[in-house]
Amino acid sequence: MNIEDVFSSKLRVKILKILAQVGELNVSEIARRLGVNYKTTNKHLKILEDEGIVQHKVFGRIRLYRFNERSPKARAVQNFMEAWEHANKQ
Amino acid sequence: MPQYRSVFKDETKLDINYVPYRLPHRDKELRLLMEFFSFILQFPEKMTQRVMITGDVGTGKTVLSQRFGADITREANKRGISLRYVHVNCREYRGNLFLILHHVVSIFHPNFPRRGYSAEELLRILLQILDEENTYVILTLDEFESLVEREGSEAVYKLTRLQEIRANKPQRLSLICILRNLKIIERLDPSTKSTLQSNIISLEKYSKQQLMDILNDRVSLAFNPLTVPEDTVSLIAELAFSESGNARLGIELLWRAGKYADTEDLGIVTPECVRKAASSIYAVMRKSDLAFLNVHEKLFLLGVARFFKGSQKAYASLAEIERAYAVVCEEFDIQPHSHTQLWKYLQRLSTMGIVQKKVSATGSRGRSTLIYLPRISAYELEKELSMLLEKGEA
Repeated sequence: MNIEDVFSSKLRVKILKILAQVGELNVSEIARRLGVNYKTTNKHLKILEDEGIVQHKVFGRIRLYRFNERSPKARAVQNFMEAWEHANKQ
Repeated sequence: MPQYRSVFKDETKLDINYVPYRLPHRDKELRLLMEFFSFILQFPEKMTQRVMITGDVGTGKTVLSQRFGADITREANKRGISLRYVHVNCREYRGNLFLILHHVVSIFHPNFPRRGYSAEELLRILLQILDEENTYVILTLDEFESLVEREGSEAVYKLTRLQEIRANKPQRLSLICILRNLKIIERLDPSTKSTLQSNIISLEKYSKQQLMDILNDRVSLAFNPLTVPEDTVSLIAELAFSESGNARLGIELLWRAGKYADTEDLGIVTPECVRKAASSIYAVMRKSDLAFLNVHEKLFLLGVARFFKGSQKAYASLAEIERAYAVVCEEFDIQPHSHTQLWKYLQRLSTMGIVQKKVSATGSRGRSTLIYLPRISAYELEKELSMLLEKGEA
């Protein structure tokens, strides 16, 4: 996927913002914070995971998502978001 | 402008959550705990342990366990073993096993969801996390009674027999259960009971001398030098001892007394500060108790109050109080009663808990009775009695 396709979705950017803030979250809670349904959230998470930006762990029926620590893309996104937030505070 | 100087050097050392490096009079129990868990430092995956710590309020159960937890974690980490000590107060979680386990899981995954699974699933999830992170946990269930009361045998059984459903996998979760006495364990079914009752550490109530050692340790950590006289420590130890040897209460009194000393900018923690601290902790003596005293009991007590108000001492001899009483009688133009009668008043006041008496240590001059005011400020007592006597309510 091209960079413009990945970041063309407001929801995907919001998901990344949430994960950058809290570190790790389950699908239902991400959906609740986005104000959209489970299925939509799942779809966007899958896209981000396919791109290697996020990863998940399964605990029984719970899936916890977070940034993929080994991915350079994930690190780049995190750095970008951090720099953005920092600039906003100044 | 005069410079304010607190009696405290570091009052956080008197905080209820502070765990001192040294635990006076609990060395033996600490060593025993280390013995019970020594396997963790050698072959942690081979076994788990279950230990119960019992004892009255303020006998050091929590602090003993926390000291042990910090020590063994440090030692294990030095050896490259990933060990976590987790201390949970069951009452804080209303004795609910699910909430307790959720707290443990959230140490590893802080945003772990609170809904959608059972306590049993959560227990499996916890073990999965520990397996994945190759970590061992010593879980301390403080105020274990509330877990038993709410969840009964089932929950305790799940926790203690955890490993049996995980044959051939590393053992991960050891337990320390802290409770006041073992009576509650009787409610559990025989198999659960048997898994718990093999290692029991019973903490005896502290003696007055032991309480003094504990308090002196905290004084040196928390207060500036020479701000807490020995008499003050002795009075606090006396009060804590009369409350089932409750060291926690003693430390609380020490802190509050320090606060009273600072409020009045005394630069020293006097026995009067302790009495004020005590009257703020205990239910304050009812004024009606004083109104029921006869005139001479009131005069005698006023003598006690005035003696302590004008003195930095924590204890007075009966002779000293008799002299103060005689002065009070003169002031009210009343003929003082005899020594024998005063002894009876002292007995009555002591039974009512308004004053306390103790026998002084045997010395070359024999034994004598010492009187002290345990739970009320001498200043407050004098004010109250003067008002009653002047009103002529006596």
